[in-house]
Amino acid sequence: MTPEALLPAAPWETLAVCLLLFVAPLAAVDERPRAAWLALLAGTIVVALFATSGVVAYAAVATAALVHAWLALPKSRTGAATLAVSAALAVGAGAAAARHELTTAFALSTAAIALRAGLPPVHLGVASLCERAPLVQLQQLASTIALVFVHLRFVDHDPAVAGHAVLLVRYGAFAALAAALVTLVQRDLRGFYRSTTVMHGALLIAGLGAATRGNFAAALLVAVTVGLALGGLAMLIASLEARVGPVSLAGPGGRAGAFPRLAAAFACFGGAGVGLPGTAGFVADDLLLHTLWAESPAGAVAVILATALLAVATLIVFARTFLGRTVASPAPDLRPRERAVAALLLAALVALGLAPGVLLGPADGFLDPPPVSAAR
Amino acid sequence: MTDLTAAALVLTVLLPAASALVVGAWVLLGDERPSERVTRNVIGAGLAGSLLAGLVVLAGFSGLAGAPVHGDVSYGDWLRIGDFYIPAVLRLDGISVTLSLFCASLTPLVARFSRTYLHKEPGFVRFFTLLGLFATGTQLVALAGALELFFAGWELIGISSAFFIGFFHERDEPVRSSVRAFATYRLADAGLLIATVATFELLGSARFSAFQGAADLPPSEATFLALLFLLSAMGKSAQLPFSGWLPRAMEGPTPSSALFYGAVSIHAGLFLLLRAWPILEPSLAARAVGVAVGLVTAVYAAAVVRVHTDAKGALAHATLAQVGLILAEICLGWTTLALAHLVCHALLRLGQYLRAPNTIHDTHRFGHAAHAPSRLERWSPRLAARLYAAALHRLRLDDRIDAAFGPVLAAARRLDRADRWLRRTATFDGEPS
Repeated sequence: MTPEALLPAAPWETLAVCLLLFVAPLAAVDERPRAAWLALLAGTIVVALFATSGVVAYAAVATAALVHAWLALPKSRTGAATLAVSAALAVGAGAAAARHELTTAFALSTAAIALRAGLPPVHLGVASLCERAPLVQLQQLASTIALVFVHLRFVDHDPAVAGHAVLLVRYGAFAALAAALVTLVQRDLRGFYRSTTVMHGALLIAGLGAATRGNFAAALLVAVTVGLALGGLAMLIASLEARVGPVSLAGPGGRAGAFPRLAAAFACFGGAGVGLPGTAGFVADDLLLHTLWAESPAGAVAVILATALLAVATLIVFARTFLGRTVASPAPDLRPRERAVAALLLAALVALGLAPGVLLGPADGFLDPPPVSAAR
Repeated sequence: MTDLTAAALVLTVLLPAASALVVGAWVLLGDERPSERVTRNVIGAGLAGSLLAGLVVLAGFSGLAGAPVHGDVSYGDWLRIGDFYIPAVLRLDGISVTLSLFCASLTPLVARFSRTYLHKEPGFVRFFTLLGLFATGTQLVALAGALELFFAGWELIGISSAFFIGFFHERDEPVRSSVRAFATYRLADAGLLIATVATFELLGSARFSAFQGAADLPPSEATFLALLFLLSAMGKSAQLPFSGWLPRAMEGPTPSSALFYGAVSIHAGLFLLLRAWPILEPSLAARAVGVAVGLVTAVYAAAVVRVHTDAKGALAHATLAQVGLILAEICLGWTTLALAHLVCHALLRLGQYLRAPNTIHDTHRFGHAAHAPSRLERWSPRLAARLYAAALHRLRLDDRIDAAFGPVLAAARRLDRADRWLRRTATFDGEPS
């Protein structure tokens, strides 16, 4: 494929979202990873998104997973082990794709995504990352988008795997419902973030199931929305905890008076995660539901209920974190740097919500028709 | 004129959203919060622009300057992937123009009233930003030509409503009421979301103009769709058994109560049914359910309003009684009467709500009316006492709904315990950080 043929349809928008998620939150918090690691991660994402060979693309996402594992190791051994296993599965998927064993490649690739997205019951690694290394979790969300893209591009076109679509859709949908229920009864802010992440991971798997019949757009948009919305939430939770320590949800927190901008941004990101109109979350949910309905109406209803429960849980968490009798705090509200980053992520969510074709149009050209020869 | 009308239609929806976005961005990015003056001017400009654009739309619809513009006005596709598409389409007909102008006129009035009412309140900026969002939601609901856009507006109304109820968030009760109202909305909205997806699958399009095709659907499918729309309307319009959130919603500021629960939001469910009438019409079962729910709600609310002791709570139930009657009218097929009833009722209630704070003053001035025993009290004091207690406790609706959701929360706690056990036993991170 010549560069001229590749560039017009290249997934620049997906790359931009991934890079934004890598860099933006790190610019907002004081924790500074080495520039070399960031450069390596960015390089792997570029290779994963633009490679014309499945082996190379999967090798790139596996490398990214190993970098995340290395960064996570000091704080979360479970998370690091999960990421390492995911890397091994991705390498296996690439190798299977090269041998045209697309069913095997699909199974390995889906398992790798399930580990990275936090599908119950293999969500322990992601749960540990959410609690112990939220910034690594945030970065690995970005490279999970690349993994989803590679999956959609190289291994989900096999007619043999389309027969398993209903199974994946139903499992993902009902796992999302269970995770949304768990979110309702969390006792601290990290727990809420953990269970929200798991719920969205299950939604992503349901979307991937439906993608086997060519409906890739829902899975890609869900992955991107989850990355941006949860990325913003993770950043804000880190910012809040840096100011007031661990946040319990036992009673009204009353922090809106001291941190009004933080509260407003939290409400926006929380809303985007549950399909606030005007954000990418709304379109992603709508697209996902239409896609799921075609495979399993029961699965679609489960997802609708899951989203409703998550929305209620998000409002409860917002109320218990920020509302109530005002508690004074000597810590400042969001600093200009943090505000700029939050605004950037919100702008991306709104832009994709108002014009989702910006992301999905080029991806459509890149992913459809399936690059059978490219799997070599 | 067609192009001008099409442009004005979009501006009617987008101007309030843009004004809210400007204030929101200012709050997030500015070093200082916007002043009251700036806030009210920016939001006021958005609302006034929306009203002006609405008048241009009315002119285009009426054919005052050229051929009248009716039906769907398409702006292409919001999203198109293969066979699936979300159309960016607005609809011009008698119902949509009436409701759009109605909302576009009332919202600036309430904004003007609130300038004085909320002067120097800490939440002044928040109130006006939410008002901008609400105006966007109402215009989307009024003018949407397809269910996806309608649902976007519907959700914006629900979200802004929840934040208005919890406006005085330093007290616990408004916050609790806000969560309860939002939970009711979202669970009832599940019906609308399922209906949106199912309509696309069954009719091949979620445009309202495609609803005429519902006449060809098998009766079971038409009834299924109609019941979903009805469920959603019942949640938004606080019909039984979802009435518990309405008196709690009175915790919000009076201007927002007037706009939401006197004029616009409480009637949004009825508007949905008017929009979905082609689907509702052939389904006699769903219509019968709607009539029964409306009439029972009207009787219930009329009983409660007689024993309520606070002005806004009594007004809320008086509103509910009329909304129940309008629901029954729609389901009986008297849609024109229902639309007229809706608009007149909304105007009356808006004025009454805005005047509610004066009630205490009036009561002190004029005194209470002497209570004379009713016929029922004379005929059967015991039955009257029982009815009085039932009305006073509002049939313990909230307790019953809490009890119904008890098993759901118990299941959630069991799942959470299982998850904690799994994370404790199958991870190797040591003690929690």
